[in-house]
Amino acid sequence: MQTWTNAFSWINIRFLLLGLKVTLFISLIVMVLSFIIGSLLGILRFAKIKYVSATVGFIVDIVRNLPLLLIIFFTYFGLPNFGFRPDVIPAAIIAMTVFESGMIAEIVRSGIQSVAPGQMEGACSTGMNFAQTMWHVVLPQAYKHIIPTLVSQLVSLIKDTSLATIIVVPEMTQQAQIVYGQNANFTLPMFVALALLYFVVCFTLSIVGNLVGKQLS
Amino acid sequence: MSMIEFRNVQKFYGKFHALHDINLKIDRGETVVLIGPSGSGKSTLIRTINQLESIEGGQLIVNNRDLSDPKTDTNLLRRDVGMVFQHFNLYANKNVLENIMLAPRIVSRMPEAENKQRALELLKMVGLADKAENMPCQLSGGQKQRVAIARSLAMRPKLLLFDEPTSALDPEMIDEVLQVIKKVTTDSDMTSLIVTHEMGFAKEVANRVIFMDQGHIIEDDASRDFFQQPQTERAQQFLSKIIAH
Repeated sequence: MQTWTNAFSWINIRFLLLGLKVTLFISLIVMVLSFIIGSLLGILRFAKIKYVSATVGFIVDIVRNLPLLLIIFFTYFGLPNFGFRPDVIPAAIIAMTVFESGMIAEIVRSGIQSVAPGQMEGACSTGMNFAQTMWHVVLPQAYKHIIPTLVSQLVSLIKDTSLATIIVVPEMTQQAQIVYGQNANFTLPMFVALALLYFVVCFTLSIVGNLVGKQLS
Repeated sequence: MSMIEFRNVQKFYGKFHALHDINLKIDRGETVVLIGPSGSGKSTLIRTINQLESIEGGQLIVNNRDLSDPKTDTNLLRRDVGMVFQHFNLYANKNVLENIMLAPRIVSRMPEAENKQRALELLKMVGLADKAENMPCQLSGGQKQRVAIARSLAMRPKLLLFDEPTSALDPEMIDEVLQVIKKVTTDSDMTSLIVTHEMGFAKEVANRVIFMDQGHIIEDDASRDFFQQPQTERAQQFLSKIIAH
């Protein structure tokens, strides 16, 4: 019992919370970037533009079928070979944005495909161009359909930041490792603390996301 | 000057020859009905006119634009060519008024007040002035199709295409839609091309009837002649089957 109270001392908890700040910082940036990039890629892949859509599809398929961990390795250890040496946090952000954009691209594309083709025909038969049709008619319906999938992908994204611990990003999991690295007795308590913190953050996002989804439909 | 001119037009779906050597001229102001058994290529033909389907051979000229020329701007063509679909295709994310106002607003940049006034007039014309704020999912099939007709008129098209406008409707709603189509096609000098299975209606509104079978145009007559005495055996057969029940 003494071990647990010592493990949860304010110093250790504050140390974890500093990590939580980094976790949330990375998550937020990756969410925004990969939402924008993923949406563009999903639309491009759907649009059936000669060469472009096939190329986008090819890249998205590669990214989606690689482990995130490997993409992090490539970014952090591979990019320096091309003269670009990102710091750990930017490296994690780049790697995760690449990975999550690929995931979101497919979610967005499936959302667009779930909109009845007649919606698109109806709109473009009035003289609206592709971009206008997508923006005013197809995308609003597509995003409404994919909100639950999108929310669960964003929740996964937060959990995935823990993989950045491998390149020593000072996010929450890394911070916990430092704590129990100094005292092996704190290992289990730190895992429990991590579990609680991840759960609270992710569960809150799920609930908020689904409430927003209900509001919209 | 004709509104639509097909010259030896060919259309294939893979190996399936959907349109065979189509030659057809429709003048401005005509109301033409296109009939024929299912799979005969009526819908395909009507959909090539606003380039929802491409053509693989021949020449197709609509409203002075050559659709066989890849440089022809499809979106410009479509501003002048309205279409009413079998399944209505109202925008599910927009209310009735917005459905009608969207294209004039973003394609022709019509001033908002004028656009709204025009949309309300159109709704009144199709008898749905009280449904302006409703969502499409709150309407019956017949009401949806009447809104769709109002929407297609909002761009003031020179040519209006109807692709089986009553085929997806409950029998008792067909009439309200046909009445609106009749009003629209007889009131204006617009050209209309209507694919339909409603023979009584066809007889009433059409100046001209085109009968298709297996991707060919088999008959092209003045409406009265066609229904009184079709020239070909295939058309006679078709009519007797349809009128029999």
